[in-house]
Amino acid sequence: MSTLNLLVAVCTAYVCFLFLVAFVADRLALQGKKAWLRSPLIYTLSLSIYCTAWTFYGAVGSAARNGFEYLTIYLGPTLVMISWWWLLRKLIRIGRTQKITSIADLISSRYGKSSLLAAGVTILAVIGTTPYIALQLQSVTLSFSVFAGQTGGIDPQDKAGLALWLSLGLAVFTVLFGTRNLDAKERHDGVVMAIAVEAVVKLVALLSVGIFVVWGVSGGLTEALARIDASEFGEWHTDRGRWAGLIFLSAAAFLCLPRTFQVLVVENDDESHLRTASWAFPLYLCLISLFVVPIAVVGLDVMPEGANPDLFVLTVPLALGENGLAMLSFLGGFSSATSMVIVAAIALSTMVSNHIVMPIWLQLRPSGASVSGDVRNAVLMARRISIVGVVMLGYLYYRMSSGGEALASIGLVAFCGLAQVLPAFLGGMFWRGATRLGAIAGLTAGFAIWLYTLYLPSFGVGTILPVSIVENGLFGLSWLKPDALFGIRGMDQLMHALFWSMVFNVVSFVVVSLVTFPSPLERLQAAQFVNIFDHSASARSWSGGTAQTEDLMVMAQRILGAGEAQALFLRHARRQGVRGNLPAPTPDFLEALERELASSVGAATAHAMVGQITGGMAISVEDLMAVADETAQMLEYSARLKEQSEELSRTALELRNANQKLTRLSIQKDAFLSQISHELRTPMTSIRAFSEILRDTDQMTPDEQSRYASIIHDEAQRLTRLLDDLLDLSVVENGQVNLNLREGTLRDALDRAVSSAAIGEDGVRLEIERNPAKEEILLHTDLDRLSQVFINLIANARKYCDATSPRLLIRVMQDADRVVVDFQDNGSGIAPEAVDMIFEKFARVSDQKAGGAGLGLAICRQVMTRLGGSVDYVPAARGATFRVVLPYRTALAAQ
Amino acid sequence: MTEPESRLGAPTVFHERRTYRRRRIMDAACVSPLLTLILWMIPMIWPQTGDGTVSSATALIYIFLVWAGIIVLTWGLSRLLADEVDDASNADT
Repeated sequence: MSTLNLLVAVCTAYVCFLFLVAFVADRLALQGKKAWLRSPLIYTLSLSIYCTAWTFYGAVGSAARNGFEYLTIYLGPTLVMISWWWLLRKLIRIGRTQKITSIADLISSRYGKSSLLAAGVTILAVIGTTPYIALQLQSVTLSFSVFAGQTGGIDPQDKAGLALWLSLGLAVFTVLFGTRNLDAKERHDGVVMAIAVEAVVKLVALLSVGIFVVWGVSGGLTEALARIDASEFGEWHTDRGRWAGLIFLSAAAFLCLPRTFQVLVVENDDESHLRTASWAFPLYLCLISLFVVPIAVVGLDVMPEGANPDLFVLTVPLALGENGLAMLSFLGGFSSATSMVIVAAIALSTMVSNHIVMPIWLQLRPSGASVSGDVRNAVLMARRISIVGVVMLGYLYYRMSSGGEALASIGLVAFCGLAQVLPAFLGGMFWRGATRLGAIAGLTAGFAIWLYTLYLPSFGVGTILPVSIVENGLFGLSWLKPDALFGIRGMDQLMHALFWSMVFNVVSFVVVSLVTFPSPLERLQAAQFVNIFDHSASARSWSGGTAQTEDLMVMAQRILGAGEAQALFLRHARRQGVRGNLPAPTPDFLEALERELASSVGAATAHAMVGQITGGMAISVEDLMAVADETAQMLEYSARLKEQSEELSRTALELRNANQKLTRLSIQKDAFLSQISHELRTPMTSIRAFSEILRDTDQMTPDEQSRYASIIHDEAQRLTRLLDDLLDLSVVENGQVNLNLREGTLRDALDRAVSSAAIGEDGVRLEIERNPAKEEILLHTDLDRLSQVFINLIANARKYCDATSPRLLIRVMQDADRVVVDFQDNGSGIAPEAVDMIFEKFARVSDQKAGGAGLGLAICRQVMTRLGGSVDYVPAARGATFRVVLPYRTALAAQ
Repeated sequence: MTEPESRLGAPTVFHERRTYRRRRIMDAACVSPLLTLILWMIPMIWPQTGDGTVSSATALIYIFLVWAGIIVLTWGLSRLLADEVDDASNADT
């Protein structure tokens, strides 16, 4: 069996093994045994996707050609990984929260879910990755030809056929395990597991070759180091600019390469895995690069002049007769190549289908996402076609470049192209002021300069760029020469391109961001990204409530699958407390739905799809104003409610007061009834007693008789007066009183009242102050009734004034339409709680001073009402003040 | 036996000290990449011609020693920061 056949057999067996690993891993994942599949170790190993065949074979080649420069390719990612705390942790949190599916999705999502940016980054990624895939195919065919070289070599036709079969196999593998589920955010357990296995294979292969070289060939570590010093490496020679530049470039590439982003962010299952990877992946890189220099040195020693140093890893063991080791080494290279192609194809196909195919497909369907057609299948199909397309593009590139030396340098060229994403990427994560237009400007500038100074020249002078441009500059302007922009020559071509593209990229990004104004959605997303640890809540985007839930359901079913979509809707319906399976299309629900969809078709497409159904493409100022308006309406409504409730409580208070008043009245009425019966009984008792004495006593002096008779008479009079009062009140109250209208002066009425009321029965005299001159007002009214009111007021003052020398001031005032008479005493006034009671019937200020039946003021008020005036208590004045108001009409009529 | 006063005082002081340590560990995690970068930039100032050039073996050992050092340092820091990360990822899910 020839070596080549053996090789093919081993390859086939290895590929079958990979299929098996992926299949078993997927099976286990389906059965829910994910703990081991999703361990930090697997995550760390999957990151080794960064180390492709280019690094597996190329590192030794690079070391043989350029000395220690190869180390920079590993130092950059190491720096990124140990920056996990402030950089990667944030990146992964953003990726998880925003359900990021690719680097293009991240950029697009950050800058207001811009479809243009997503498409731009996707194109950049395709341009940058295609040569890289070609490079992997080349490395595999090269390594095949090395083995075949021993048995006579293979002709180019076979090489091409080999590359084709390899690409097809990889495409099939990727389609099988990479598009198993639509949710790109869901881990591809099978693929990740296969990559992890391949990571182990390539590490073991390289370490084995290294150990063989150091201990087997050189004879120990010290000897190996001495051999290094003795070789043409000898002393430390490194281009300083390239040393720094390449560290930066590889660090940038580690973050921006679609495949590393895929495993680092998208396939990340648990933030805490990063904690392990932060030191474990640098360790992996350290081990991978550990034996590169010894292998290169031994290769330069052992191999004949002119041997391709890129293949030392293979050729050195072969030359030394270690066929088994060479086979292991071959498998290591094969692993590197296949895992890179698989993950790159998954990452690129997600980007292409989400950001290019789906938007176009949606555009071409005027009916939108809600009508007919299975979007789910369309997305899956788009992704599968994209995978095949990407791999075939790599194959075509390989055929076109005819596997020449030009490919070897393409790795760094691709790095440089993808590094153009870095400013917008990091700027978006740490600077809220970064805008969409800034990102577009930066990307465009950087991309254009990279294209002109590095990518196009990399095909060779005269292939795409005409010789005239390379020699004389664009438009014949010498300062536009692709290898010496602005006349600065002498720089390494890669560093020249990296420097200028980055300068223009960053400057345009910052300047345009500073002068432009972001849209509301951009600003919301900016806050979400930059302050991800403050609020890991999801991005707000929907405010309208016009979406039809059924349409959304139809669409979601097509993308997420019927079962999952129904479960999602049901969950939200339950959360909203809605009966049935369909939740209301609230902004919260739309947002959650959009996020779910975003993990399948990307943020921009999901936004557009929900937008087509809900009718709003993005949050606008109008939406925000509507929200503000709604808030204002709610505020107004609550203010109205508050007002109403205040009114109600006011009414309740009034009712309570009225009730209290009624209760008090009822109590007073009872008190009055007992009082009145007492008042009636007392004179009745004495009348009965004395009349019995008069009747039964025989010898009685006339003196005694007359005294007893007069007591009976007095008591009878008192009774009469009491009954008169009661009668009077009821007459006045019922309006049956006849007014005896006549003319007279106010002074007469007051004189009469004062003379009859100023001196009480007990002889206490009330001092009264008057101003007779002012009292000369002619009145046409019922003077007797008026006097009755005055008498009452004066008598009250006399009875209730608690001053040591009671005094009453009677003040008469006259204005345009009324005459006011105030009766103000110098006592302590009436207690506030009694004020509203004094004009009620049967009311008396206190029981102790019970001189009357408590009808006086009630009668006064009724009388004054009949006379067209009023009598009131004036609370503000000192002492008790009653104010009698007579309408002027009454007075005028008299003049 | 501790006195009641110190028993009352101890927890708060301890807590503050712990929080303070945590913050400084986070700072260290942020600064360590910078330190590494500086150490790896040192080969740029090594003389490249004439006397005092650094031998390749020495250069190789230097770079790999820095590498090993930062791996150990990051391992230590990641262990110290375990609670922070695990809390966050639990809270997130």
